[in-house]
Amino acid sequence: MSFTGPGNYRQEAAKTIRDKPEVRTSITAATRTFDAHRVQAWGQIDADRWRDWARDVKSHVLGHLDEYLEQAEERLTANGAQVHWAETAADALAILGDIVREHGVESAVKAKSMLSEELGVNRHLESLGVHVRETDLGEYIIQLLDQPPSHIVGPAIHLSVDDCRRLFHEKLGTPLDAEPDELAGAARDALRAEFLAADLGISGGNFLAADTGTVALIENEGNIRLSTSLPRVHVALVGIEKLVPKLEDVSGLLQLTARSATGQPIGNFVSLIQGPRKSDEVDGPDEVHVVLVDNGRTKLLADDVAWEALRCVRCGACLNICPVYRQTGGHAYGWPYSGPIGAIIAPGMLGLEEAMPLPFASSLCGACTDVCPVRIPIPELLVHWREKAAEQGLTPPTETLGLKAYAKLAQSPELFAAAGSVLRRMPLELGGRALPVLGGWMQERSAPKSSKKSFLRMWKEGIE
Amino acid sequence: MSVRDRMLERVREAVRDREAAEHPGAFEGWRSTAALHPVDGLVQLLEAAGGEVVRQPDVAAATAWLASFCVDFESSAVGETVPDALRPPLPLGAPDTAPLGVSRARGAVAETGSLILDARDGRRAQLLVPTHVVFVHTRGVYATLREALIDLADDLPSAIGFHSGPSKSADIGQILVKGVHGPGRLVAVLIDGGD
Repeated sequence: MSFTGPGNYRQEAAKTIRDKPEVRTSITAATRTFDAHRVQAWGQIDADRWRDWARDVKSHVLGHLDEYLEQAEERLTANGAQVHWAETAADALAILGDIVREHGVESAVKAKSMLSEELGVNRHLESLGVHVRETDLGEYIIQLLDQPPSHIVGPAIHLSVDDCRRLFHEKLGTPLDAEPDELAGAARDALRAEFLAADLGISGGNFLAADTGTVALIENEGNIRLSTSLPRVHVALVGIEKLVPKLEDVSGLLQLTARSATGQPIGNFVSLIQGPRKSDEVDGPDEVHVVLVDNGRTKLLADDVAWEALRCVRCGACLNICPVYRQTGGHAYGWPYSGPIGAIIAPGMLGLEEAMPLPFASSLCGACTDVCPVRIPIPELLVHWREKAAEQGLTPPTETLGLKAYAKLAQSPELFAAAGSVLRRMPLELGGRALPVLGGWMQERSAPKSSKKSFLRMWKEGIE
Repeated sequence: MSVRDRMLERVREAVRDREAAEHPGAFEGWRSTAALHPVDGLVQLLEAAGGEVVRQPDVAAATAWLASFCVDFESSAVGETVPDALRPPLPLGAPDTAPLGVSRARGAVAETGSLILDARDGRRAQLLVPTHVVFVHTRGVYATLREALIDLADDLPSAIGFHSGPSKSADIGQILVKGVHGPGRLVAVLIDGGD
């Protein structure tokens, strides 16, 4: 099972809520825990200043991205790494394919990477006959289940312990009542063998420091360090928005990302990767490839309003706080980036028509922007895409007609009073359902009783 | 035009008419609470993250501690830069089979509770062992991550690893488990004196 695009969001969301109520329970519990940890971790710092700083660094980079990309390329090359440029997913997959062929790669271990999900790396490598193994425990679980990730940070948070018990019983032969420790131990043993045998390690990159040519990666399990240290070839897939001017800037971004994602001061493991093994080192990969990926990012960068979404550090804080995301988890969104951030980058990266109706999958409550470590004005960007959708005729015609009619009424006191008088006399249960915009809304809500007098009349008569 | 040049041109075109933001300057780790003394801060965070901390006044004391610690182990993998005095009195094992790994950290970071591990010490002994002992001198403790990175930038190996606690995961039903892939037990030995 893989993502089929955002187009089916409404149906998929409804299906999840109806058929799998336990998903909502798991997702809500996990995201509330994540968020509580964030609140605590932000309480120990002057979070406003950290966020201002992080916003400004990322905005600065995005304004000078060409210079920093060139500098990073130069430094990485000097470090002995090989830099590749991929305009599209197809470019990136072709680069991976070349590396696989050149090195006769039979098996690959993967560290969790949202970009690799976006590019469809696993399916492509498998089509080339490569055995691909996800090594992040959550990613491993969903790979065994043939499911896509449901959260940027916790890919398997939609599953319960019992779901995992059943899966591991079937795949690894653990007892049905095994505790999480035992399950993790079985996974460790199975994956350790794959780490030691793999020819290729694939990772993403949280940040890429231009001045030193350093790919920075943050994690808790150690599987990223293993994936980037044991196989003879390491490929890091890095979105071009991940650039950071200086290695010292990575200090603030790593800490803010960790505090926002899981509430830790930092992940238990951080990798700073400059290039392949040097002559005075006993181990490490012989080759390091860094693939700089566009795949829609420059399209988003060119949007004068929505470009700010490219500051995202993928901490998942906006998913954790989002009352809409919490109902379904990420699968319903139909592509790897779910929740509020997914809804604002999808239209830029995929095209607005392809991304519909994600900009509408929000109540515009604004909780997401309150927790965003890089201060992306998410609700404003949602409204921006909604406006564009209306302009391009991508919203339902009844909605456009309804709003036009309302605009006409609201501009004429006589018409407004007349319409009000009609609606007051109509039983609202019926009237609401008959109105084009309110139809869907009224299905889930009972209407208040309408007043006998209009507000205007009460106003004129004097309100106590 | 190459893919590279086309991508760079698209980037330039995208931001052509937009005023670029200034770099905000150094990240100063602004806190709402006073920072502890660096060594105390390091100890507190390492322990909070599930690590164990042992403090020794000098190398001789650390050597003695190591001898008693090693009685529970049959072999060990040892980092390339570990000085003779801190090599365990055990048969040498391969990193993928030894129950114990011993490394020397290049330094540590108080702000994040991290031990700085250099690829020149050997990565496998830092990653494949179930129990990882890391020696670090307290004079090598940086107050902030930024200071550490500025220093490291002058002399970077192929990879640096910051280890701030044992390997852990909550991916199975949000229940914390240790030792998922890397060492499930991290023992930081802080040495105050000597070299």
